[in-house]
Amino acid sequence: MSSYPKFAVVGHPNKGKSSIVSSLSLDNSIQIGNTPGTTQVKRGFPLKVDGEIIYELFDTPGFQRARRVFAWLEEHGDVSADKRADVVREFVFKHKDSERFKDEVELLEPILNGAGIIYVVDASKPYGAEYEVEMEILRWCGQPSMAILNLIGNEDYREDWTRALGQYFRLVRTYNPMTARHNEHIELLESMAQLKEEWTKPIKQAISILDELYDKKVDESVEVVVDYMVEVLSFVHYQKIKEEEASGEEKEEAKLAYREKILKVEIKERQAIEKIWNHTDIEKNEASLELERVGLFSKESASIFGLTQKELIVTSAATGATAGAAIDLLAVGHTLLLGALVGGVVGGVGAMFGFDNLYEMKVLGQSIGKRELTIGPMQNLNFPYVLLGRSLYHASMIAKRSHAMRGDLDLENGSFTQELMEGESRKALEKLHLKLRKGEELKEETLEEYKELIKKRFLTLL
Amino acid sequence: MQYNHKLTFKSYLDLAQLLKQYQGSHEENRHFALSHKIQGIPLVLLWKDKNLYRVVDELDSSRYLHYLKLFSSLFGFILLLLGFFTGFALLSYSGAEPVNVIYLLLVMVGLPLLSMFLSLLSLFTGNMGARIFKHFSLLYYLEKAINFFPFAKKIDFSALPFSATLSKWIFLQRLQLFSFLFALGLFLALILTVVSKDIAFAWSSTLAIDPLAFQNVLSLLATPWQSFFPSAVPSLELIEISHYFRLGDKLDVNMVQNADKLGAWWKFLAMATLCYALLLRLVFWFIMKIGFKKQLKKELYTLPGVQKLLKEFSTAVVSTVSVKEEQHLEVKEEPTLLASEILSDDYAFLLAWNYAEKTLMLLQDQHKVTVTSTHVVGGRNSFAEDKVIIDTLKGKVLIYVKAWEPPTMDFMDFLADVLAKNEVDAVEVCPLGTVTEHYASKKVDMEIWLKKLEQITSEKLKVIDV
Ligand SMILES: Nc1nc2c(ncn2[C@@H]2O[C@H](COP(=O)(O)OP(=O)(O)O)[C@@H](O)[C@H]2O)c(=O)[nH]1
Ligand SMILES: [Mg+2]
Repeated sequence: MSSYPKFAVVGHPNKGKSSIVSSLSLDNSIQIGNTPGTTQVKRGFPLKVDGEIIYELFDTPGFQRARRVFAWLEEHGDVSADKRADVVREFVFKHKDSERFKDEVELLEPILNGAGIIYVVDASKPYGAEYEVEMEILRWCGQPSMAILNLIGNEDYREDWTRALGQYFRLVRTYNPMTARHNEHIELLESMAQLKEEWTKPIKQAISILDELYDKKVDESVEVVVDYMVEVLSFVHYQKIKEEEASGEEKEEAKLAYREKILKVEIKERQAIEKIWNHTDIEKNEASLELERVGLFSKESASIFGLTQKELIVTSAATGATAGAAIDLLAVGHTLLLGALVGGVVGGVGAMFGFDNLYEMKVLGQSIGKRELTIGPMQNLNFPYVLLGRSLYHASMIAKRSHAMRGDLDLENGSFTQELMEGESRKALEKLHLKLRKGEELKEETLEEYKELIKKRFLTLL
Repeated sequence: MQYNHKLTFKSYLDLAQLLKQYQGSHEENRHFALSHKIQGIPLVLLWKDKNLYRVVDELDSSRYLHYLKLFSSLFGFILLLLGFFTGFALLSYSGAEPVNVIYLLLVMVGLPLLSMFLSLLSLFTGNMGARIFKHFSLLYYLEKAINFFPFAKKIDFSALPFSATLSKWIFLQRLQLFSFLFALGLFLALILTVVSKDIAFAWSSTLAIDPLAFQNVLSLLATPWQSFFPSAVPSLELIEISHYFRLGDKLDVNMVQNADKLGAWWKFLAMATLCYALLLRLVFWFIMKIGFKKQLKKELYTLPGVQKLLKEFSTAVVSTVSVKEEQHLEVKEEPTLLASEILSDDYAFLLAWNYAEKTLMLLQDQHKVTVTSTHVVGGRNSFAEDKVIIDTLKGKVLIYVKAWEPPTMDFMDFLADVLAKNEVDAVEVCPLGTVTEHYASKKVDMEIWLKKLEQITSEKLKVIDV
């Protein structure tokens, strides 16, 4: 048998077992439902480094017929305490193909194969004696065990629970899978490391691996944000024109293309961030576009920069949002909500500054017989900060999001409530923005310095 | 299969093209790195070799290098011929007038040294030097000219994945090669002429050059071979006798007398060409080659995707997610079963599932229903105890359950047993909230109960939501 530590997350149905496993394994593919019995078979979530398993978590179905199982055990288990695990083993063996005890067999199997027990309860609900039979069964398995208090509701009965659980489990910890962040994840692992002496080393190793992984994700996010800034700010759109001068129609066409390109790049950036943090399929918001909300959002971002063209922003955000919707159709798999937000804000920003003055538009008489209209790079001084603010906000929301969360990512509330960048760092950031505005080539140091600043800011948002 | 992990221009171009189409996943790349002993750039190149089959279009490198080679050999050949004919022209000796050594030296030594100097200048002044001096070079215009050839259209120079600096190195390296070939032509012409003709060398200049000073310059030039080939160093005597003035309308008597000695010049000229125009040029060519390689390597690191590849080679793949496909219950939307809101006035039995005795009393007090008999079921009870209770049941039965606890199969079994009893007329299940919720159940919890209980098809069953 393999020697790495294993943990089976078990408990009553609907107490957040799958949520906890999602959060610990950074896997958002697990079905979480408020219908009990959503999880039907156990599923392993190994932490693997280059294919080698460091530890493995098991999500299991909840206890369904605990009393019956225990009755069977007592009936067959008139043995000394050290033999009790064998009785459980016998139970599992005898009922392998039984439809009746399907759930119990699934959840007991990993424990009998050496997994530590992580018993999950919802401590926002009153304690009930009916749990004792489950805990008894687990005690019979004779494996190292701990209990997790999850708070699903608003009340708090942790005291009662801790008293009761303390009689069955060595460790009792609170862990909320919906709000847990990296450090809470690590703290829980530290508790798990204490369960068994042989497990301490591999779990410690796992902790350092996960810490490194987290740092790597932060770094990669910063790369993505910076690449995106460079791409958008230095973007120049070229368009062939027929006459000496560009016609109004051609100008409009070019403007549209320029705007769409920016939207597309933003969508690409968002997807890259979501991929880094393994949040690729955030549930789609199918509701119709909520333009008032988009408008609000723009207003907030505007206030940061001390701009007060509110009415203008709201009306233009509406048109921008439609552009966002159009992009959605192009970029399959993207959420309509995000699209609307992106569209709304770029549109809103456009009106705020007067889109016509945002970029340089000029007619270039390129080589013989070829006339081109060029738009870009974006000349507005505040535009980079709007982009950066939005992108860092999105990235931090994604980075902070628990993998147990299902449903939409809420990007509207409390977004830009504080100044994004202080004066000093703004000055440093401006160095790069200036170069991009002028279409100059970037120096490695400038870029590195920029990355440093972005990283510092990003870390404060996490 | 033997793979070559040396960095060449071709492998650079191929890698650039491959990376545009394919960069592999972290897993694949890390696995690749772990299964090979090498690392760094050689590993990147090996990776390129293994994955190049993914590029289905024609390789940019084969097209580009083909034209580069074609152009280089064509132009190299032209320059060789040009050198040869220039040599002949310079050495054409009518018999009336000797061949001017100074003139020859300028072409065979001065010109190469000047061009090498320019190459160096272009190296040390960055692109600026190249920009200024390339205009002096015939090659520059020739390069411009190839733009008019039809094949030039097949190469999009602006799309080629290397910088102006690397182009400069390519240019400089080829410049050395072409110059070498030109000098080789000259050299061959010299040897051929010397063998086939009798040439009188002399020297002459509008400036008044003192033979001694001239000799100093020449022996300085001859320093490299002075020690092992002294006869290829013009002596002062030779210089003096071969000094010639155009104004004397016939040859100097002195010169005619020493005609056999004048031929000795050729050794010097041959050695000077060999040393300065050919060997030194080879050294330069080699320097440019090294410079080119260095620049190539530098640019390889900045090729889009290379940093990512190197990082993926060296960082372990950490995976936390499950490999197993999830099997889960279909999530049902809305329950079809409806809860009724009214409790009847009296029941024969009140059963409290999973409640403590104490709570049961509180509940009874709250709802004020008349019941004949109350029991706690489930919870700590054994099956035997529950069985005894079920056996006594008859008439209308009310069951209190904790709404926040989803119905387990244990409860469903119990409910089925109750419903199966003929004496029982009706069973009403009433999910209750917590004390702080004043026993009112939450809508979500209620839905869970309804969804579960609708699986039981019994006329006797009803769900109550108070
Ligand atoms: N608000 C909140 N909801 C939770 C929490 N943990 C679980 N849930 C919800 O409780 C329900 C059951 O969760 P699930 O993980 O499927 O429980 P399982 O049956 O034990 O695997 C789901 O609707 C979850 O969204 C929590 O910490 N906070
Ligand atoms: Mg589950």
